[in-house]
Amino acid sequence: MPIYPTLAVSAAIVVIVVELCVLRSGLFREPAYWISMAICYAFMIPVDGWLTKLSAPIVIYRPEDTSGIYPIWDIPLEEYAYAFALLTAVMLTWDRVGASLARRSVREDVPA
Amino acid sequence: MDRYQYLLLMSACVLITLPLELYFEARVWRRPRRLILALLPAFALFVVWDLWATNTGTWDFSPDYTIGVTLPGGMAIEELVFFTVIPVCGLLTLETVRNILRHLGSR
Repeated sequence: MPIYPTLAVSAAIVVIVVELCVLRSGLFREPAYWISMAICYAFMIPVDGWLTKLSAPIVIYRPEDTSGIYPIWDIPLEEYAYAFALLTAVMLTWDRVGASLARRSVREDVPA
Repeated sequence: MDRYQYLLLMSACVLITLPLELYFEARVWRRPRRLILALLPAFALFVVWDLWATNTGTWDFSPDYTIGVTLPGGMAIEELVFFTVIPVCGLLTLETVRNILRHLGSR
């Protein structure tokens, strides 16, 4: 398998394993997470589509390093795994940091 | 103006998600300490990946659509913006959806 899909899929697997075996936050059982990911993917298509459009690319991939599979416009298939890993990792750390700040009662919230 | 394309795209992402903070009480930008700590681990890993991919040639950035400011290691400054803006968009979405579901559940 070319290098970019290999790394993108590995990153996604690492994030899933870290959540299921280490963090155990329950994010994957939360409907809000899946709804949010669906919304993020919907917005990813115009944004990433613009970045990768082969007619005038901002990000240029070496063709032999990608899967060569483009389900929507010129966005490589593995980009969806990359997005999953990046967004899920940040959501997991956001919740983790939020929980530990709350335990130490560091309040950034002004009462609404 | 074409050279600002990447930065303008990132600005559009910030602007389009700003109402989530302002009107849907996402409270992501307003919790800067939590936000910075949350962004750091993924930021570090994905920047390393980005540097490696740029240096080995897996991907590269068009000089026509980037402002040409590169950081040590050769990474376009736009990538640092990307690794801040895109995660923030994700967090704003998550917190907004949570607020809406909470609101619906408490009616």
